[in-house]
Amino acid sequence: MGAWKKEPEVADPVDRTTSTLEEIPPAERTPVAGVKEALQRRWDRPGGRGYAALRWGGATLFAAVAIALVVTLLTSSSQAFGHSGLSLLWTGTWDPTHKIYGAETFIVGTLITTAVALVLAVPIGVATAAFLSELAPRWLATPLSVLIDLIAAVPSIVVGLWGLLVLTPAFAHHVEPFLKTIPVLEWFFHGPALGPSMLLAGVVLAVMILPTMVALSRTALAGVALTDREAARALGGTRWQVVRRAVIPGARTGIEGAVTLAMGRALGESIAVAMVIGNAYVIPHSLLAPGATLGSAIINNFGGATPGLDRSEVIALVVILLGITALVNAGGQVLLRSRSRPAVH
Amino acid sequence: MTTETAAVPAGGAGMGHGAARRRELIRAQSARSLRRRHLTGRGAVGLCVVAVAISLTPLVALVAYTTSRGIHALSVDFFTKIPTPQGIPGGGISNAIVGSLIIVGLAAAMAVPVGIASALFLLERRGRIAGAIRFTADVLTGVPSIAIGIFAYAVLVEPLAHFSALAGSFALAVLMLPVIIRSSESAMRAVPRTEWEAGLALGVRRGRVVRSIVLRGALAGIVTGNLLAVARAVGETAPLLFTTGNQLFNLSPLQPTGAVPLTIFSDGTSPFPADQQVAWGAAFVLLLFVLVLSVIARLVAGRLNRQAR
Repeated sequence: MGAWKKEPEVADPVDRTTSTLEEIPPAERTPVAGVKEALQRRWDRPGGRGYAALRWGGATLFAAVAIALVVTLLTSSSQAFGHSGLSLLWTGTWDPTHKIYGAETFIVGTLITTAVALVLAVPIGVATAAFLSELAPRWLATPLSVLIDLIAAVPSIVVGLWGLLVLTPAFAHHVEPFLKTIPVLEWFFHGPALGPSMLLAGVVLAVMILPTMVALSRTALAGVALTDREAARALGGTRWQVVRRAVIPGARTGIEGAVTLAMGRALGESIAVAMVIGNAYVIPHSLLAPGATLGSAIINNFGGATPGLDRSEVIALVVILLGITALVNAGGQVLLRSRSRPAVH
Repeated sequence: MTTETAAVPAGGAGMGHGAARRRELIRAQSARSLRRRHLTGRGAVGLCVVAVAISLTPLVALVAYTTSRGIHALSVDFFTKIPTPQGIPGGGISNAIVGSLIIVGLAAAMAVPVGIASALFLLERRGRIAGAIRFTADVLTGVPSIAIGIFAYAVLVEPLAHFSALAGSFALAVLMLPVIIRSSESAMRAVPRTEWEAGLALGVRRGRVVRSIVLRGALAGIVTGNLLAVARAVGETAPLLFTTGNQLFNLSPLQPTGAVPLTIFSDGTSPFPADQQVAWGAAFVLLLFVLVLSVIARLVAGRLNRQAR
């Protein structure tokens, strides 16, 4: 029962009872010498039935809900996977009236919008975090950090509303026509500038994950040991070299964790994306083309789906989305483990 | 640098002259290198400043625009009346505000006790079961909220054959649980072992030690974590979309109920300017509520930090 009982005994500076135990003959031992053992007995004593029931009850309920989540979604989608098997994954048509169901368009859309969001948010986010944590004077860094931390709490529906009513017209009339004039990048931006597009969805996602990216990276950067910075400085590094060569590499694990989390959020976001992506069910051939993601397709199809196969197919989209996010998270974990092992110093 | 050092000829007579020359060369080289490095540094810092500007612009614009549009939508009617039919100006979102409070309140009532109990479980137990629970909590944090909404639909809406505030609350509770568990656990872990021992040494039972010493010591941290979880839940739309329905006005948790995020979604996607105006007002109210909750959470955490020092 003891929470820390099995922890290896490390030298405890407060502990004055056992250090001299071996030297003092038993007869001369003061009563104090037994305190540690008595304490351990007390520590191990069960905490009463009510307390145990509370803990086990909470944990059991939580585990039950988590298991029910997976089981429910799997059983609800079994009809869909029975109907088309795994070919659902690489069928490009979603046509419920003719009972043709395919998730390929949505999977591609999800991956593209997430990639756009990460390409925008990761470099800008890390650079912002580096500035706030390392380069900016304190009077500037503190208020800006608090501001960004607070903005991280803005609900995605508000970002979506802003994207729909403010960014969409701005993109249609100004941003997208402008992007089409840039020499090399225009290859990504052919086709008409409509407003709702994969690009806009990616930008909205980027705005949404940016504060999280900044806040987590900043924490990671601030956690790098002072001695690492001093060592880099003592070798003659300039202020920027300290950041570039010592602080950012030192915070690498934390930054990668931030990217994983941001990616998970971008993959799983549904409502804000559904508001700005245009909901076209064809594989887009340009970032300016409207598209759909798994999340937006679920939002748009679940309400109208008739019970039975139709609804089961939509729930299969949920399962695919869950699978992708799980893969990303597992990949992140593996990456972290493989990195942290040789880095022991 | 090494090539230049090697190029200096060795020899008794040329020694003094060579060393001075070498020093000169090194000095020039390092001055050049330092200039270059400072220049690179200045360029990089400049780029970072640009990045800060790029990241702050949309974020501040978003909040400022929502505020300026939203404030104009606010009135007494906005908080006390129910919505007008689509496209017709006037009306309010009282149904959605009350609905959101009921849904989130119920969700917190479900998630907080279970979350804290599970956190105690993780605190008191090591080994495979605790590891599995912790892993589950971490995985559940990353589950898309729409998936949780569909789950709540399958469990509580389909069997009962109608939407209800309760189903929405359940979805939000599932969403909040992992956040509450992990934040509460880390807050409790911060209570020093010596305080446990002091309680136990007085002969107090373990359950009582946890209640009077550990929970009290970790209270600020637990409150912060829970407030942040509530702030996150109140703005969630996807879990409510297929669980609560979007009804006019209702106080019963078993009936379909409106919610502020749903109002923003349905009015924001409406083509009528009057509806969009309502959406901005609702967005502003939601934003304000979430920001106030976050600020309170931060203040509580700040008090905690001061106490620890």
